[in-house]
Parts: sequence; C-alpha cells; structure tokens
Amino acid sequence: MSLFSRFMDSWRKYRKPGYYDEFDYHWTMAIDLDKCTGCEACVTACQAENNIPVVGEKEMARGREMQWIRIERYWEGEFPDIKLRFIPMMCQHCDAAPCETVCPVGATYHNQDGLNAQIYNRCIGTRACAVYCPYEVRYFNYYDHHWDSPLDKQLNPDVTVRGKGVMEKCTFCIQRIRQAKDLAKDDGRRRVRDGEVQPACVQSCPSKALVFGDRKDPDSQVFKSMHDPRNYRVLEELNTDSSVFYLKKVDA
Amino acid sequence: MATETNNLGYTDIHDDVVRSIVKTGPKYYIALATAGGTTLLCFFFPWFYQLYYGIGAAGINHPGVWGTYLASFIFWIGLSHSGTLLSCVLHLTNSTWRKAMYRSAEAMTLFSLVVAATYVMVHVGRPWFIHWAVPYPNQMELWPNFRSPLMFDVMAIGTYITGSTIFIYMGTIPDFAAVRDRTTGWRNTMYTLLSLGWRGTDKEWHRLHWAYTFLAVLIIPLAVSVHSIVSWDFAMSVVPGLHQTIFAPYFVVGAIYSGTAGIVTVMFVLRKSMGFEQYITKLHFDNLGKLLLVLSLIWTYINGVELFTAWYSGTSEEYEALGYKLFGFYAPLYWEMILFCAVAPMLMFSTRFRTSFVPMLILSIAINIGMYTERFLIIATSLSRQYLPDAWGVYVPSLVEISIMVGSFALFTTLFLVFVKIFPSVSMYEVKETMATPTMEPLAPATGIPA
Amino acid sequence: MPNIERREFLKLIGAGSVGVGAGFMLRESAKHPTEYLIPHVVAPEDFSSGIATWYNSVCSMCPAGCGISVRTREGLAKKIEGNPLHPVNQGRLCALGQAGLQVLYNPDRLTEPLRQTAERGSTSFEKITWDEGLDQVGERLDLLRAAGRGNRVALLSQGVRGHLAQLFESFMQQMGSERLLHYDFNHPHTLYAANQRFFGEDRLPYYDLQNTRLLLSFGADYLATWISPVHHSLGFGESRQGRPDIRGKFIQIEPRMSISGAAADEWIAARPGTEGFLALGLAHHIVAEGNYQGADRADWVTALADYSPSQVAEQTGLPVTTIVRLADMFVDIDPSLAIGGGAAANHSNGVDTLVAVNVLNYLVGNIGREGGLVFNPEPSGPVSRRRQASYLSMLELAEAARQGEIDVLILNSTNPVFTLPAAAEFRQALAEIPLIVSLSSFLDETTALADLILPSHTYLESWGDDFPEPGVGFSVGAVSQPVVSPLYNTRATGDIILALAQRIGASNAMPWNSMEEFLKDGWRQIYERGDAQTLAQGFDAFWISVLRAGVWGETTRRNTEFTLERSVIAGIGVQTPEFSGSEEEYPFILHPYLSPNFHDGRGANLPWMQELPDPMTSVVYGSWVEINPVTAEQLGFTEGDLVEIQSPHGTVRAPVFIFPAIMPDVIAMPIGQGHHEYGRYAKDRGVNPIEILSPQIEPVTGSLASSATRVKLVATGRRVKLVKTSGMSRDLGRDIVQTTGPTGVEVSSARPNSIPITEVTS
Ligand SMILES: Nc1nc2c(c(=O)[nH]1)N[C@H]1C(S)=C(S)[C@@H](COP(=O)(O)OP(=O)(O)OC[C@H]3O[C@@H](n4cnc5c(=O)[nH]c(N)nc54)[C@H](O)[C@@H]3O)O[C@H]1N2
Ligand code: SF4
Ligand code: SF4
Ligand code: SF4
Ligand code: SF4
Ligand code: SF4
Repeated sequence: MSLFSRFMDSWRKYRKPGYYDEFDYHWTMAIDLDKCTGCEACVTACQAENNIPVVGEKEMARGREMQWIRIERYWEGEFPDIKLRFIPMMCQHCDAAPCETVCPVGATYHNQDGLNAQIYNRCIGTRACAVYCPYEVRYFNYYDHHWDSPLDKQLNPDVTVRGKGVMEKCTFCIQRIRQAKDLAKDDGRRRVRDGEVQPACVQSCPSKALVFGDRKDPDSQVFKSMHDPRNYRVLEELNTDSSVFYLKKVDA
Repeated sequence: MATETNNLGYTDIHDDVVRSIVKTGPKYYIALATAGGTTLLCFFFPWFYQLYYGIGAAGINHPGVWGTYLASFIFWIGLSHSGTLLSCVLHLTNSTWRKAMYRSAEAMTLFSLVVAATYVMVHVGRPWFIHWAVPYPNQMELWPNFRSPLMFDVMAIGTYITGSTIFIYMGTIPDFAAVRDRTTGWRNTMYTLLSLGWRGTDKEWHRLHWAYTFLAVLIIPLAVSVHSIVSWDFAMSVVPGLHQTIFAPYFVVGAIYSGTAGIVTVMFVLRKSMGFEQYITKLHFDNLGKLLLVLSLIWTYINGVELFTAWYSGTSEEYEALGYKLFGFYAPLYWEMILFCAVAPMLMFSTRFRTSFVPMLILSIAINIGMYTERFLIIATSLSRQYLPDAWGVYVPSLVEISIMVGSFALFTTLFLVFVKIFPSVSMYEVKETMATPTMEPLAPATGIPA
Repeated sequence: MPNIERREFLKLIGAGSVGVGAGFMLRESAKHPTEYLIPHVVAPEDFSSGIATWYNSVCSMCPAGCGISVRTREGLAKKIEGNPLHPVNQGRLCALGQAGLQVLYNPDRLTEPLRQTAERGSTSFEKITWDEGLDQVGERLDLLRAAGRGNRVALLSQGVRGHLAQLFESFMQQMGSERLLHYDFNHPHTLYAANQRFFGEDRLPYYDLQNTRLLLSFGADYLATWISPVHHSLGFGESRQGRPDIRGKFIQIEPRMSISGAAADEWIAARPGTEGFLALGLAHHIVAEGNYQGADRADWVTALADYSPSQVAEQTGLPVTTIVRLADMFVDIDPSLAIGGGAAANHSNGVDTLVAVNVLNYLVGNIGREGGLVFNPEPSGPVSRRRQASYLSMLELAEAARQGEIDVLILNSTNPVFTLPAAAEFRQALAEIPLIVSLSSFLDETTALADLILPSHTYLESWGDDFPEPGVGFSVGAVSQPVVSPLYNTRATGDIILALAQRIGASNAMPWNSMEEFLKDGWRQIYERGDAQTLAQGFDAFWISVLRAGVWGETTRRNTEFTLERSVIAGIGVQTPEFSGSEEEYPFILHPYLSPNFHDGRGANLPWMQELPDPMTSVVYGSWVEINPVTAEQLGFTEGDLVEIQSPHGTVRAPVFIFPAIMPDVIAMPIGQGHHEYGRYAKDRGVNPIEILSPQIEPVTGSLASSATRVKLVATGRRVKLVKTSGMSRDLGRDIVQTTGPTGVEVSSARPNSIPITEVTS
C-alpha cells in the first residue's frame, strides 16, 4: 500500500466515529418502558457499584447531582386524566457519539467493545463533552468528594474514585464486563456468555425492565429485546446511533 | 488626508513618546498599583482558591457546565480582533489615520489574547494538564484529538498569538531603535536588544515594509478563521441554540464589533491619560464610529436571522430555546444586549455624536457590555434548555466567577500599563510619515531617526 | 564539500527540519488511528478486577424479608445484591435494600455502650463497659423477677421474625412479663383482620401478580411500599411483558397517584375512604349481571343491596359508567386479582374496605388459583404477628407507663417517638418509666431518651433468620449471617438478650451462649422435619447448604379449598369513613404516605436515600406538601411557598409542590423526614406529618386511621427553594417516552419463569 493510500485509509477511519469497522463485543442495553416502575433501585445500585459520591443538599440545590442513571419523569394530561411516564436515562453509548469527537485530548473515546469509555486520568475538564452530549448524562466532579468515615469503606476497589476536575458518566459497568471476560478466559472460553455480564442497574431492577448483553450474539436476550417491534431510541433523529434501546410503553 | 498632527515636528513626537516611556509620574504608579492590586485580589486569589477547591467554586452545574469563563474567553478573543485585524486592513488600504492608534490597538489584541488564554486555564477543570491539549511528541505516544473543534481552537489561537506578536514586534523595531538612541542605562541595553541592531538603512526599511505587508495579508484571514473556529466550539454541537450554521460569520462580526468598540475605549483613555490629544483626534473617533455603525447593523441583521431560522424550524427544541432566550429567566439580559448593541449604536448616524469623545466612550463601553452579555447568553440560554426537559436547569455565576471577570479587566489594564512603559505606544515613524516633510521619500525615510 | 554559504546552510537546516517534521507527522498519521491516538488510555485492558467473596443473608430494611448476597473484599462489604435463589426477590433489590451498606458504615452509629449523664433527651452520654451496662439492667430485672413483678418490664422491638422473635418470647416468659410488643408504623393490621374475618385465618395470602391479567389495586402501593415491593415488581414485570401474547392490565384506585398509580394503565381517584364502597359497587354489578352463580348468590344479593353502582357513584364521586366498566372488566379478564392497602386500609373503615376487596376476588373465583390469591402455609419458623402492636396497644403501654406500672423498658430498633402522632403523648409517657434501655444501633428520637444504650450490631454483622410473611405460596426460610466482622464494640441483639437471661438466672431455660448457637438449635429442628434425603446428609452439611444458598424452602403448597361462611356474607358492608376535624374548618384531607426512600423514616439517615430523587416529584433532602394545581391556583400557591399544615392536633410547615395527580381536596405528604435526632443526615431536615395526625382509630384492629385527618393550609408568606432534580416534567411533544397502542401488543421473548429455590424437604 502506498503511503498515500495508507494515509487516506487512516483518514477515513479517523473520520469514522469510533474508528472501528467491527467491534469485539457490542454491548447493548434494552429498557422496557412497559415494565419500568420508576422505583430508582437502579440509581442506588449504580451509585453503590461505581463509587458515585453523595454531594449533599447544598450542591444538589445548585444542580450538581452525580448519579449516572436518572429516572426522568413526564406528566401527560391533567387531573383526573393524567399519566406519569418514567424513563431511565444513562449514557447511551452512542456509536456516533458527539461527546467523543469534541474531547480535545481523547479522554472519552469508543473502545473495541462499542463502549463510550471515559478515561478519568486523561480528562482535563473542559466539559465540552457534556455540552455535546444531547442526553445530558455526563456529570462533572466540581471538587474532590468526601466520604464521611467510615462510609469510604464501602467504596468498590474495582472502580476509581474520581478527583476534582474530571468528567464521569455511566460506563456500562466496565469493571463487570472486564471481570466476565477474565472469567471466560480462565474457563478457557473465547467469549462471555449471555447474561454473564449484569451491570449493577440491570442486576437490581426489580421489574426486570433492563436487559444487557452483546448484540453480536443473535441468541442473546438483548438482541431479541432490541428487535422487539416496540423498540425505539431516544432522540434517534440526532443520529447518535446509541446502544440503548427503549421498548415503547404500551398505552392500553 | 488632512491630519491634525501637522503642526508637530519630529522632535516633538520623539519627546512626547519617549517621555511617555521614561518619565513616570506618581499617577502612573498609582494606576499600576491599583490595576495590579485588583488583578491579584480579584483575579489571582479567587483563581487560586478555585484551583485548591475545585472548579465548583464557579456556579457551573448540570446542565450548565459552561459559564462565564467561556463567555469571557470568547469576549476577550473577540476584543482581540480589530486590534491587529483592523491595523492590517488599514495598513493595506493605506489609511493614514490608523497610524496614531494602531500600536495600542495591536497591543490590545495581544493582551486580549493573553487574557483569553489565561481564561482557558481558568475554565478547565484540571489546568495543570492543559499541555495535553497541545500536540507534542511524547513517550506515552498520546496525541490530542484532532477531530475536536476545541483542538482547532488551540491551533488557531496559538497561531493567532504568534502572528500578532510578530506583527506588533516587527512594526515597533524602528521605534525601539529610536528610543534606544534617546535613553541610557538599562533601558538602553533593553532597547538595544529589542531593536535588533536597527540602523535605518534603506534596505532595512524596504525589508520591514515588505515583511510587514506580508504579515498583514496573512493575519487578515487568520483573524477571520480564529473567530470562526471559536464559534465552532458551539456550532459543531447538536445543542439547540448553539448548533447554528451562521455562527462563524456571526462570531467574526461580533468580534470585530466588540474589538472596534474596545479600541474606541482604549483610545479615549490613552488620549486623556498620556496626553496624546494631538495624535488621537476627532477624526479617529469619526472613522471608527462609522465602522462601528456598519458592524452594528450587520450584527443586528445576523441576530434577526438567528431568531428567524429558529422560529422557522418549528421544532419544539429550537422553539423552546428561542422563547427562553426572549422571555425566559435570562430575558432581561437579552433585552439589555439588544439595547446596547442594536439600538444605541443608531446614535452614530449623527456626525456630532461620532465626534464627541465622552458619548463615544460611553457607547463603546455599552457595546462591549452588550457583547459580553451576548457571549454569556449564547452559553447560558442554550445549555439551560436542551433536548430532555427533565434535565433543564439554570446556571447563575458565582462570586468567584464574577470576581475573576472583574479581575480579568484589571489584568488587561495591568498588562497595558506595563506595555506603555516598554513599547512606544504611538508609532513614531509612521506618524512622521504623515507629516509634510521635504525629506520624506516613499516607503523609506532616508535618514532614519535624528540623533 | 561544496562551498555552502552561511545563509544557504541555514536555509537547508530550516527546510530539513520542516521536512523531517512533516515526514514525522505523516508517518504518525499513517498508523492506525487507535494506535497513535490513545494507546495508553485504554482503560479496560490494563485493569484487573479483584476476586470477591459473597455472603448470602437477609435484608432487614423493611419487613419484606428479601434475600441478599453481599459482595465483600478484604473483609469489607462492598455491595448488596439480591440473592438470586431467594423466591421473594429473585436476585432483585429495591433502593432501600441497596443502601443497607450505609447502615453498616454509617458514621453516626452507636459504637459502644453509653449511659445518659444528664436529664433524658440531653444526649450527653458517658462510655461504659458492656459488663457495667448489662449488670445495671440485669440487677434491676433480676430483682423484679425475683419479686414476681416481671410484668413491670416491657420489651418493645421493631417487627422481627424468626428465631430472634422466639428469643424475645422466651426471655419475656422467663421474666414473667406479657409486655412484649413489636411495633412498626405501617404494619398491615387491617389486612390481617380483614383476612381473618373473610378467610378465617390470621395470615396473609400470596397475591399472584405474576400470573394475573388484571390487577385492581385499591390504594395499595404494591410497587413501592406495600408488603413486598420487590416481589410485586417482579410480578408486575412478568405480568406486563413476560408472557407471550399476554399483557397484564393494572388499575389503581387512590386519591393521590403513587408509584403503582403511575405504573398502572388506569389511575382512578375515588373519594378518600370510599374504596370499600367502590369494591362493593363492583360486586353488586357482578352479582346483578348474573356473573356470579354460586350457591350463596341470594345471600350476596341481600348483602350488596345498598351498593348499587348508582349509590356507590354518589359516595365515591366516580361515574356509574366507570364502576360498571371496572366490574365487567374484572369478570371478563381472567384471571383477575383485587388487592387493597395503603391509604384505603388506613381509614376508620379499613377492615370493611379490605373485606370488600376480598369479596371481589371471591365473586369471580380468584381465590386459591394461579393469577389470583393463593393461600400460604403456616411459616416453617417462628413469626411474631400476635405481638404486633397496634396504635391502641401502644396507647395502653403509654397508659401503663403513666400509671407507674412499668419499671424497665427495653427498646429494640423501634422509634415510636417518631412514628406515633404527638396526640399519643408517648414521649411524655416515657418520662414516667424509671429505666429505659435501648438496643438500637442509632441514636434515634426514642433512643435519645434512653438512660442506657447497649447498641446492637447491624443486620450485616449478626446472626439471624427470617420467614417472610406473606410467603410466596410456599414456606421460605432464610438465614442471615454476618458478612463482615463487627466494626465496633457492639453486640448482636440476640447475644444481649442471652446475656441478660444469664443475669436473671434463666440460664437453664435459655442455655445458649450466643445467638448463633440458638439459631443453629432452631434450625436443627427444621432439619429434623426433613425427608430421608435431607437427614442423610447430616445437620452440618444441611446447615452449610442453607448458609450457602442463604435460603431454604418447603415446596409443598397449601390446599386451595375454600368455602365462605354465610355469616361472613351477612356481615359485608362498609361504614362511612370518619374524619377528624370539621370540613368547614379543615377543608383538606391529609394523605400521608410512606416515602419509598425512607419507609417509615428509618431510611432517613442514609445519604444515598436522602440524595435519591423522590420517584414521583424528584425532590431530594426535604419534605413537601403536594397540592392539586387547580387548588393551588385558587389559594395562590406556587411551588416553594412555605405553608402551614394545621390539623386539630398540630401544625407542620412545608413547601408546596404542585402535584398534578391528586384530588383537589386532598393534600399529600411523604413520611420519613422530620427527624430531631438520628444522625447528621436525618437530623433537622423536613417535617414529620405523623406528628399532626389525629388519633382516629380503626375500631376492629385498634390501628391508627392515618389517612383520616383533616387539615387546613395557611400561607406563611415565605418561600423556600425546593431541591429537586427534574427541570421540567412535561415532554412538550418531544416524544421522549414513546408509547404504542393496545393492539398489536408484541411481547419480548418469554423468559424462564421458574423460581429457583433449594428443595430440601417436601
Ligand atoms: N495485591 C497486590 N498488590 C501488589 C503486589 C501484589 O503482588 N499483590 N505487588 C507489588 C509489587 S511487587 C509492585 S512492583 C507493585 C506494582 O504496582 P504499580 O507500579 O502500580 O504497577 P502497574 O499496575 O503494573 O503499573 C502502573 C501504571 O503504569 C502505567 N504505565 C505503563 N507504562 C507506562 C509509562 O511508560 N509511563 C507511565 N507514566 N505510565 C505507564 C500502566 O498503564 C499502569 O496504569 O504492586 C505492588 N502491589
Ligand atoms: S430499577 Fe428498573 S424499574 Fe426501577 S426505575 Fe430502574 S429501570 Fe425502572
Ligand atoms: S449518551 Fe452522551 S455521553 Fe454517552 S456516548 Fe452518547 S453523547 Fe456520549
Ligand atoms: S471534560 Fe474531559 S472528557 Fe470531556 S471533553 Fe473535556 S477533557 Fe474530554
Ligand atoms: S450500566 Fe453500570 S454504570 Fe451504567 S447506569 Fe447501569 S449501573 Fe450505572
Ligand atoms: S423490599 Fe424491603 S426487604 Fe426487600 S430489598 Fe427492599 S428494603 Fe429490603
């Protein structure tokens, strides 16, 4: 290959969101809105798993919540014909992620598993990614967080505690994915089995509204869920090619 | 073109300018101490506090992750335009009236850029790693992300600072030499170094003019591209209110607009404080006033276009962003901006207004307040009302942010005060060019500087 | 060497550098971009996760009794997850259950025995040793016992089941005291009573949400707070989208929309306290339409005569068409299920109402069948429902204290000073008791009044077990084992009781040295009931297998035969609900509801729960009062206006929250905040609406009719910022939560539906 065509090839790939022609795994979440009750078990599960700090009332009042998954609520109608609809919102792991292109230092990028990864120690804190993310699921460390002792004993050793000036967001519980891969390797398997990776939110969800897995595996739960006729993606018109599929709520 | 400097002689110019460098009255020291003290108190202390505590010292939040720091950054970049840019354009079009003011204008560019660059440090969460945004070969093989508009920004501003520095420095070489010849002691040593052995030969003058013109041509597109690129920090996103194709020209015009207003302010101050009444005259104010008026009209037009396209899109997102801008939480600021930047400048249709110093000063300040507001609103109103209504929120600047904003003006003033003591703040040789002197030759005054 | 001039040389150097630089850049960019852009920031690859040790145990954050698996690393608890083998929660867990870690690691835990040194409530304590503390109590108890005045000792615990409950029982028996009470604010007394009346047994049935096709919930917030929320959520999910071609329908009847109301397909607001009328209205229609053909049909016609849809429409404020439609639906969709609880059960006619709900299940034949209401067998281990204190029993206790009949009160993790209305004057009654001993792990409002604190371990540090009630149609037992070694100088509740037993000379009757020993002894009896296969493995193996699984079950189900007594039918009827306070003076009915985050307030000291947005309002860290938008407009209130909520028995202040799904004459407040003690996260935050409740009683059970207080709202003219996370709760046509019509209800693939349990005996 000539240097020029190699250059052009790189350029094409470079322009391509996420660079990859093919992912190793393609981790995907499906959320059945007909099952989600808005109970927020997932929120606390994520907070516990991922060392998400409690910021306190004052900071909450300033709009500085940190929870990586939030339950949005939308009222429809007026009393007495009124409905409240919940929708869990976390990083959608967009395959064409606006947050990735804007990060000047490549601290957020697409990895070989189709994840939008966040590299805390590379982040310089421009917060541009948070502006560019249309789902507003990126949360910033405005200062070093503090855990009243001994609450710090709970911190998950498999997950970094983020310092001030760093952006963070849902990772699809990357540490659990890693663990499952390690296990598969130890077992002499080439691939992780369906259901072996359960992010904390999925694990806890009392109504089993959340399903997670590898969409490259056509027998996986998530593959089936994402191909359910009720599937849609939030803000699909923005072409973010997100990896979180929602199943429409049934209005009966 | 008639100028009011005709009754001056070369010696007068030298005396005036060198005096402004060498003779330092108590007023200067008071001014310097005030500006420097304010910088320390209002800029550096809060910033150090923020470095220690974290950027939570600012009012930024979710979703308002950007705030006055970025607004100030754009404001200063904007102000930096028209300094060098204006100087270049006027140089190329041979406008003689530029000559008395262009050096201070260029200095303004430089210091605005310095303040803007400082703001980048203030803005990011971890400024101690800011060098990661610069491409340099390193053992970790880590490179910045060249796809990022922020990265374009780093490049563009880097180039612009470099270009502007060379431009102002090169244009000052003959004047450094002039001062060198009239000073003694450490100043003489300093100016000897700065003037790079300038002797004032024909060849030197020729090369200077050639290089100067070359740079002037180079800097014009650069200045345009810089603010276009700054606008892409926003426009490349998908956020309603930021995602606007018109942003590049809008920002460029806005930048020149606020920059020109800034020059008016600075000229007024120089004129009064340094006793430059003879060099900076009504004519300058008149001309700049006309320029400002035109810019104001263009700026207003683009604002209208922006509103129209948002309305025309008819999507809930754009619509909401529009309504919020006009009637939401920040609406008073919006209407203040319209008053200052679109309505008030209409006064400049009157020649009498344009040639009145104090009213022009007030207007120029008002325009820049309006333009600061514009930058703030672009960020604040857009981030507050994005796609998912559940995530809506408002951002209000904190005391630290406001203090740093005030402090940045002090920083700018301090830099400027230092500048006037080192640089001849009026281009002596070019002012001389405008004077009716029998010995004057085109392009190169044969005798250089009288001993 | 050619003759190169200085200038040429410089030019060449310059060109050369540029060339090398450009070449370098080109070479770099010709590499695969990922290689050169980010080689050292690929996080997942250079990360290696550690190996965790998991312990199965039982959640004690609410009475549901879910099974948990706790992940520990280096001896520290890191994460609580559901025990997948436990049939109640099948691996799932609610937010409060997750937050159990913050009970364990709470910075405000009581870490050693304390003695109050100034007057009660001053919270000035001195450290003492366990022996000092136990001796002080022991001597006192011993004297009383010896003098035959054991009944002057009261033990007041939070609701506990399993062998700890039995231990309390034996201990109090040894003491010779009848004064053993378990007190929980929200114990479903009326539900037990209604089932007792209708089914003749003092036990809750299993509500089979998972297999039902229509759920009619009369006020029960079954997804958040009612009985077993995680289990119900599982059932809800399965019913909704877990079966091919079947989608369960959910209808919720309540004056203020709860989480279950939001999840429902239809939300109906009937006048507060008239839910029973509505149920009987439905029943009337079912019988009248000939949809009930049982032998006792005539009895029903008589019993339901006064509850025709048109009469009921008047009482409930609902249109006749709605009543008829609901009734028809309840018959047509099969199986269907009606449940009742929450506010509907907390009126003066609570038992009547819940009986009326059972009537519906009876008439359409939902009893004892899949997708309906399944009888539970008697739990295999000890339960304590007989000891569960109603409001009246608490008043009796208070009265006894006032009469000087109580010398020692032992408190175990229950906080009546917080969860009883001010009108009960419980706090004042406590002042009359000479010695109050608290075994709580936290300095709650009641413990703050104790003279002596002998702090217990948290549930994650102690041995215990649980037999969830209601079961899931068969009997389940779960063992709670310590998942970490105790953090502080605290002791397990059981061990404290045993130590006291020794000091009153009851060692013969209670010979165990520790709770663990007692527990194993108890489980040995369960083991001995087992079949040959179980017995063959020996007790130790059995015990280990139960600890490993964390749960054990008896697979036999109850016989489902059920015949209704005619006398029950004759007694069917609903009294008009009584409210305290006149309608003129107090125009609003106060609807206090259990906060999903804090339960009855016990979760308020957990920072995760404080910072978890309230699901319905997104408010964090505080209290609020929910008002219908139209009402608020009439009164001129906007969000954040601080108002006084005045009842005949007290006043609290809270900011207004405009809540679109509440009846115009009802206002709602969450229970859980408003602590005056209970640690840094709970203290002085929000208000406690229980304080101002009128002492209105449900006469059958003597429980508090907590939804029967009338209040008025008085503006204070002040405003506060309501801290919440939602910016705007309308989607403005952006179609964020998309919906699809009822036709073509495609269902995601069917998933395995079996409940994994360890089958030990039959
Ligand atoms: N539990 C447990 N703990 C142990 C040990 C154990 O056996 N068990 N062993 C101990 C021993 S012997 C050792 S040596 C330590 C090792 O402990 P560490 O020194 O922490 O070793 P690593 O995790 O291998 O590497 C640290 C980081 O350096 C990064 N890195 C790699 N190359 C470079 C580079 O060129 N420049 C920079 N700046 N970073 C680079 C890697 O990506 C990695 O994130 O662990 C000690 N700790
Ligand atoms: S845990 Fe499940 S049901 Fe509850 S809010 Fe989260 S996604 Fe919805
Ligand atoms: S959801 Fe936002 S943060 Fe996540 S990948 Fe997409 S753009 Fe990035
Ligand atoms: S905040 Fe961090 S991750 Fe986000 S764009 Fe800036 S450097 Fe990149
Ligand atoms: S996938 Fe993991 S990180 Fe993402 S929301 Fe769920 S629990 Fe949090
Ligand atoms: S429902 Fe109750 S027992 Fe179950 S996890 Fe939640 S708090 Fe624990």
